[in-house]
Amino acid sequence: MRSLLLDRASFWYPATESPTLRDVSLDVAQGEVVALVGALGAGASTLLLVAADLAPRVTGGRLAGSVARRDRSGIVLPTPWTQVSGMAFTVWDEIAFGPANLAWPAHEIARQVDRALEHLQLAPLASRDPATLSGGELQRVIIAAILAMDPGLVLFDEPAAELDADGAGMLWRLIRLLAREGKAVLLATSALDALPDVADRVVWLEGGAIRAVGTPDLLADVATCDAGLGTSTATVWRAAGLPAPYPLTVAQAVRGWR
Amino acid sequence: MSRLHPYTLLAIAGALPAFAWILPPPSGGTWTAAVALVLTLTPGAKLTPGASPGTTGVGSSPGWRPGLGVFRTAVLTAAPFWLFLLLLHDVPTTIAIGLRITTMVASFVWLVAALAPARLVEAMVASGWSASVAYLLAATLSAVPMLKARAQRIVEAQRCRGLSPRGGVAARMRALRALALPLVLSALHEVDERALALETRGLVPGIRRTPLAPPPDSAVERAARWVLLLACLFALVRRLIAPGFS
Repeated sequence: MRSLLLDRASFWYPATESPTLRDVSLDVAQGEVVALVGALGAGASTLLLVAADLAPRVTGGRLAGSVARRDRSGIVLPTPWTQVSGMAFTVWDEIAFGPANLAWPAHEIARQVDRALEHLQLAPLASRDPATLSGGELQRVIIAAILAMDPGLVLFDEPAAELDADGAGMLWRLIRLLAREGKAVLLATSALDALPDVADRVVWLEGGAIRAVGTPDLLADVATCDAGLGTSTATVWRAAGLPAPYPLTVAQAVRGWR
Repeated sequence: MSRLHPYTLLAIAGALPAFAWILPPPSGGTWTAAVALVLTLTPGAKLTPGASPGTTGVGSSPGWRPGLGVFRTAVLTAAPFWLFLLLLHDVPTTIAIGLRITTMVASFVWLVAALAPARLVEAMVASGWSASVAYLLAATLSAVPMLKARAQRIVEAQRCRGLSPRGGVAARMRALRALALPLVLSALHEVDERALALETRGLVPGIRRTPLAPPPDSAVERAARWVLLLACLFALVRRLIAPGFS
């Protein structure tokens, strides 16, 4: 069942002549992880804001085409320090900020917050002041804060930017877990190497429009590699002058080499 | 003091300036200014939640620690007003208005240091206010120290790049420009992102938030607030009907 459906959606930021998104048609089903890839300025972040119903409602601007959402959405923005509420003394309270705004009963808030703490391995930090956390810890808190609101559609904008390798690995596993729980996930990331294990589909954005949609194998295509959007393995294979098709992962490269 | 109910802190911070303007000068202003300045020496708020590593909230920003730091901030903020008043008025008028302004400044500085915005939000939500209205009020209280902390970081960053805030007037003006521009631009940029983040976390107009840990409001504190209000009204009425009182 579709959680998000964009039909020929175009979006203009206020006081701009040309659209940041152009005729984007995309659907994300429950239980599916769709990854947005593209160069800087490709429109991935804007697409997430439109999907989250923040653009144009909060940002201003103009939207053409249609956007249909079946579930409540939650978006994780790329800068965690601008996303803290500033109204919580502890990590637990920070994560509870969103659920409390939904006016849930206290016991349900506690259940969701504890679950999110467990998912993000934040239980040891539950009583810490958010102002004392590192960037990576704060990023995990913000992700937990969004998940505690139990959104059906989860939107991630560069969620691993502040995380170390372990933290990023935990995040990718969590995203697969969310999909298994039936949530729809739309993810904009430049961590391309993670996508073969995380994404069900990859959408290549260029200049605000969809250039190609496919399985993660798309990240080993000649065209995507030419655009600098191939996985590390595919890029190295290509740089070595080895012939296409390029391998997507190290395991594929080993198999191809043998 | 910071353990008092937020409404009690607001009542004290509101009553002192009211008394300062209602009671006859200079004695009225003298004691209200004295009380307000003594309050700035009392322990302040717990560390207020901040934003990022390196960004700090109310209690953790430089110069806003409880005790002498808050007192010094109050005195330094009030001092320029005395100078301007002295240039514009005679000495008795300067003392009369100066003490009132000192009371206002010291009360506000003390309130910002003693009142944790999160507790205010919880208290307002518990008493039926919309969470967005409560957040707006609390964010206003936390804006000053947060901007101060951000300015401090920008100064440090500019120093690392060789810009000195010391020297003659021209050098200081250059330093001020290099401080003000990034301060304003970064604050404006962050406002946009914060609006998006708060929206996605459910802080929308008209919501009725579940109070998580509403501050206890004892009968004694409620009575004290009423006493303060009635005392203000009594002083005002007496001032109006008995001109000799002034």
